Amino acid sequence: MLALLPRLRRFAHALARNAADADDLCQAAIERALKSRTQWQPGTRLDSWMYRIMRNLWIDTARARSRAAQTFVAEEAGASVGDRGDKAVEAAIELGNVGRAMNQLPDEQREAVALVLVEGFAYKEAAEILDIPMGTLTSRLVRGREALMTKLGEAA
Amino acid sequence: MSIPPETLMAYADGELDPIAAKRVEKAMAADPDLARQVAEHRALAEQLRGTFASVAEAPVPESLRAPLEASAKVASLDEARAPRSGRSTHWFRNAGALAAMLVVGVMVGQLVPHDGGPVAEKRGALVASGTLAHALNTQLAATQPEDAPVRMLVSFRDRQGAYCRTFAGSMANGIACHQGDGWRIRQLRAGHAEAATAYRQAGSEAAAVLADAQTMMAGAPLSADQEARARADHWR
Repeated sequence: MLALLPRLRRFAHALARNAADADDLCQAAIERALKSRTQWQPGTRLDSWMYRIMRNLWIDTARARSRAAQTFVAEEAGASVGDRGDKAVEAAIELGNVGRAMNQLPDEQREAVALVLVEGFAYKEAAEILDIPMGTLTSRLVRGREALMTKLGEAA
Repeated sequence: MSIPPETLMAYADGELDPIAAKRVEKAMAADPDLARQVAEHRALAEQLRGTFASVAEAPVPESLRAPLEASAKVASLDEARAPRSGRSTHWFRNAGALAAMLVVGVMVGQLVPHDGGPVAEKRGALVASGTLAHALNTQLAATQPEDAPVRMLVSFRDRQGAYCRTFAGSMANGIACHQGDGWRIRQLRAGHAEAATAYRQAGSEAAAVLADAQTMMAGAPLSADQEARARADHWR
């Protein structure tokens, strides 16, 4: 599991909106995985299992947060989405335009993009991690990519 | 002929089977705009990979490592499970090995007799030969041609430290590990010749092989760079 850490952390950074949240997410996923490790089936892929845990945690937090933040939609729409300034600097991870463009994607597109394009999973594997049909995955992936291209095209 | 955006994207990602891919290539030849879109898809994928690579390469903060290192001292995942399944595990593993040998036996019958076939027998062990040996020696997962007869999937080091590679071809899928000066076949399964579907499902056709690779693996699969370095060192 230790060897998977850099990849899991990368996935967390692709999902979360800033570096501090990403490492919090990563930590929560590790704790969850350690607690429920007897549920992992030997012979199945440990990485997919870990990714699924992390993704489900992320969805839970994202939902809770969006309920709490519904009155602050305007802030979300601004271009300054990103670091909290303090803790983010410590990680020294700057994802720049790409990170900002990712942040603006709807969650369902962002997770598809993160699994396939960032983590390099095959469509089939990504669909299994997200527990959605292949067709749903490909259509989310297409929409996410088109949005990214448009946003990054504007930024360039 | 119009190509749906999903199909074009799947082509750019190497997810189409050869027939569907040919169809897209034909359409691309006739329509430069399609070719441009494919290039854009690949450029975006490259940009995302490149951006997030910095995260995977950055040192992992102590706060994330600590819980895992602490738990590793108590019990590894494997050990945590072993007591629960008890003796039956061993029986099951042996049965699995036996079944694997049977499969191999049947397949060797088909594969070995052909001169220059992918698998040969050498001092009682199955080794890769011909095209398969060549692919194992030279092909990198990141740069191999889309239509390579044998494709390399995941490469990794096993617990003895030997380099192992999973491969998928029309005749056979399997795992080979470098030993001495050749590749010893550790697992062999029937290939995907008859299983072509609209999406190639590179994951599913070799899912069983990959699952087994996961259990043989010490650490994470090799990155593209590590794979290239391993090749430069002749997989030693």
